[in-house]
Amino acid sequence: MTLWSRLRCWLAEILHRSRTESEMDAELRFHMEAYAEDLLRSGVPRQDALRRARMEFGGIEQTKEQCREARGVDWIDDIAKDFRHALRQLRLSLGFTLAVTLTLALGIGATTAIFTLVEAVLLKSLPVSDPAQLYRLGKDPDCCVRLGFSRPTEYAIVSNELYEYLRANTKDFEELAAFQAGGTFLGVRPAHSASPAETYFGEFVSGNYFSMFGLNAYAGRVLSVADDTPAAPPSAVMSYRVWKRIYGLDPSVIGSVFSINDKPFTIVGVAPPDFYGDTLSNVPSDFYLPLAMEPFVKDDGSLLKLSSAGWLNVIGRIRPGTNVASTEAQMRVELQQWLRSHWGEMTASERLDLAKQTLNLGPGGAGITTMRQQYGDWLHILMLVSSFVLLIVCANVANLLLMRGMERRQQTSLRIALGARPTRLVRQALTESILLSLIGGAVGLVVAFLSTRMILHFAFDTTTQVPISAAPSLPVLLFAFGVSLITGMIFGIGPAWLATRVDPIEALRGANRATRDAGSLPRKALVILQAALSVVLLSASGLLLQTLRNLQHENFGFDRNYRTVIHIDPVLAGYKPTQLPALYSGIHDSLTSLAGVASVSFALYSPMSGDGWSEAIYVEGKPEPGPGADAGSGWTRVSPGFFEAIGNSILRGRAFDDHDSDRSRHVALINEAFARKFFNNEDPLGKHFGKARGSAGDYEIVGVAKDARYADFDFTKPPGAFFFLPQSQSSGYSDTNAASTELRSHYLHDIVVRMQPGAALAVEQVRRALASVAPNLPVGRIQSLDQQVENNFSQQNLIAQLTSLFGILALVLASIGIYGITSYNVARRTNEIGVRMTLGADRMHVVRLVLRGAFLQVVLGLTLGIPLAIAGGRLLGSQLYQVPAGDPAAPAIAVGLLAFCALVASLVPAQRAASFDPVKCLRTE
Amino acid sequence: MDEQLNLLQGTLDMLILKAVSLGPLHGYGVLLRIQQISKSRLEIQQGSLYPALYRLEHQGWITSEWGESENNRKAKYYRLTVAGKRKFQSEAEKWNRMADVIAGILRTTTEEL
Repeated sequence: MTLWSRLRCWLAEILHRSRTESEMDAELRFHMEAYAEDLLRSGVPRQDALRRARMEFGGIEQTKEQCREARGVDWIDDIAKDFRHALRQLRLSLGFTLAVTLTLALGIGATTAIFTLVEAVLLKSLPVSDPAQLYRLGKDPDCCVRLGFSRPTEYAIVSNELYEYLRANTKDFEELAAFQAGGTFLGVRPAHSASPAETYFGEFVSGNYFSMFGLNAYAGRVLSVADDTPAAPPSAVMSYRVWKRIYGLDPSVIGSVFSINDKPFTIVGVAPPDFYGDTLSNVPSDFYLPLAMEPFVKDDGSLLKLSSAGWLNVIGRIRPGTNVASTEAQMRVELQQWLRSHWGEMTASERLDLAKQTLNLGPGGAGITTMRQQYGDWLHILMLVSSFVLLIVCANVANLLLMRGMERRQQTSLRIALGARPTRLVRQALTESILLSLIGGAVGLVVAFLSTRMILHFAFDTTTQVPISAAPSLPVLLFAFGVSLITGMIFGIGPAWLATRVDPIEALRGANRATRDAGSLPRKALVILQAALSVVLLSASGLLLQTLRNLQHENFGFDRNYRTVIHIDPVLAGYKPTQLPALYSGIHDSLTSLAGVASVSFALYSPMSGDGWSEAIYVEGKPEPGPGADAGSGWTRVSPGFFEAIGNSILRGRAFDDHDSDRSRHVALINEAFARKFFNNEDPLGKHFGKARGSAGDYEIVGVAKDARYADFDFTKPPGAFFFLPQSQSSGYSDTNAASTELRSHYLHDIVVRMQPGAALAVEQVRRALASVAPNLPVGRIQSLDQQVENNFSQQNLIAQLTSLFGILALVLASIGIYGITSYNVARRTNEIGVRMTLGADRMHVVRLVLRGAFLQVVLGLTLGIPLAIAGGRLLGSQLYQVPAGDPAAPAIAVGLLAFCALVASLVPAQRAASFDPVKCLRTE
Repeated sequence: MDEQLNLLQGTLDMLILKAVSLGPLHGYGVLLRIQQISKSRLEIQQGSLYPALYRLEHQGWITSEWGESENNRKAKYYRLTVAGKRKFQSEAEKWNRMADVIAGILRTTTEEL
């Protein structure tokens, strides 16, 4: 028979199962009847004839079975039978099934939830065509504005002029596009609407941005190269998210005019629904504007024409078959050529650094990978943690199945005695466990979906839309399915194999007469493993919780109580610099009039708000800092009364007051770190410094403030040098970069409101107060200073919470495991206990007997777990804050917790054993 | 009737092929025919007949179709395929050769050693 005809036969047999069965039945019956007739004809009475025919034919079912086997399709039949048998068994012991399914669902669900995040953040590419062909400039993500011709490590952020130069000269790229690094907030409202502008996130992009990604508009059209010219009518593309959520897919939006930062733009189209821009972030872009429109929108703050102002990321589609390394080398040459063409404008240190300037090409398929960097480490830790939990779950379920296998020994021996093949029995047991785990996996998917939603809710700002979907994608589904299958096979094989290692005679004689615990080694090993893993997880969560608490209670140099921070953006409302003082005093008066407000003050940015400005410092009377010297300082601009408002004490000198005006002497305040860094032992009061070359005499130091933390990273280092400038004063610079920075620094973004103790500030009140003075000023977040600081630890918070959750889960699972094992042991040794009690053992003795069995394993597990926990603590090292690496507190607490739970878990069955009626015990088998 | 010989395993297939080669038969008919041509010296276990038939069909040496029996009842008839014919001939050859060899061994006397 050829393969083809054989396959056809198979298919026919599979599809026409019932027909072939009835045919076989008919054939065999025909045979018997024909034989019976022959017997009849030879004189045998009818009754006897039929009986003889049947007897001499033999077992009809057996024959049928053999025929089926001969046909070669019996394996399908067998599998179906195994399946049905397994289902029946599971339904019979519903409690057991439920317990196992739930345990599995928790383990598989947790792992799948973490994997969903891992896949979205670490593995997925941008939703654009052929992301493998995309390459971006910069090995590491860099943001957001860099002034000058020198870069410390690599050129990842470029100016518009450099971008155009690269685009014109690098033929290896089919398309090279640029987009604003980090994006920008925009104030947007429909042109004809009277309501104030809403704040959205957007970015400036080059004309070929969408065509480079290979994207077409969902509605209308996308930006084209024609839109990216200064003379073109201002056009913008809206995101699908905004079009759907805010404007309800209204088609009239397309082609209508919107006011963006008070400038008219025509919305020409809507981006595709799943496109979230070039960066996976929790603030996705909602508006895309052409690069050429940047001066139109930003006015004096424009960076487009500044050849040394880097503010663009570059990403492009490379020609297929190109050698990326050679393209990179060529682009490095182009960079050098471009830099040399600007030799005349460079500073001395920039000229010295010129030869070192380089750029790198990296794969751009994932876009800008800031989130990958931020969350990468954490996600890896979480994956490790959740696989621990999964292991514990598997151990638990394996134990439960082992126990049940032991219980069924009599049944198994009987079946082997009746002629069942061991392989068939193993296959049946395996089918059962795989079925269990598939069901557990299905429920686990639901658990995963819900927990992913919960994690995303906590990890990201609830007001913004997160571009990560909690719904499982195909890779995640395959992962969950794979994990379920593997766990099923792992914990199914053990019991299945052990079940067949029974001596039928032994079991039939009457099980449970022996006190030797067969098959106990794997069970004991599993309990020990569970205990050890639980200790590790609990200890890790203890360390992380401690870190979190240390971070939260750290004194950052300012007072967090009774302070509210209001974020505004005068840039978006189109305020001119001359209008700002009136705006601020208006807001000040309006807010101070509210009940409970003690004082109101303004700052360019408040402490730990996520923003940070820094400059190179030139001290009068001291030599200029050489190239590569660390002479930088952070700074901010504040209004009078700021230090009192924020609770930052002035150690020496004075704060800003109303006497400091633009006509009086230009002053500045510094912090202790600044004094230490630039003035060492000298008294800084009265000294002068500046923030641009040649302006070293600009500011006179009138006060020294206590060190306070403004930047939000690297808590292990003390706060760096910082200085403060007053809102009322402004310096002139000949350098365009410096002048632009000075101008932009007067647009203060944060209002700090100090409340009287016990008073609360209502958000609605604030908004009304602000609207009464400045109706079209977009008001961003309003939150307490405490909350603002907390936001900096949202990641640590999340990780600590998740690890604790996993730790508790591990503890619960381990306790359940110990309880299960102990009660099984009690049940198994009922007879023995009865004998002992009859011979004179009292209740305490029985309790001790049971406990001793359980505790040996627990103690072993704990001793195994402690060094692992300490090692784990060292592994976490970098993520911990002010927690010594070998700190014994967390492992000790973990051990204590587990010991306590183990005691409770084994005490319950022990008590039950102690209350046995000895006579009943002896009667049970 | 002579003492009935027990059937060697594996030869059943050959006998079925021979029986069917003489004309299409249903299962019971195959049984009867083998009894007939062996002049009742051979008895086949009824239970092992049908698995063998199904096996031979699965391997492609015989093929089956439903038809009407002598007393107008539905029965499944088996007949030899072309490949089956070839298989039968080669099996028969092998059997005869083996029979020769064994017969030769059995004939050996002490003188020929």
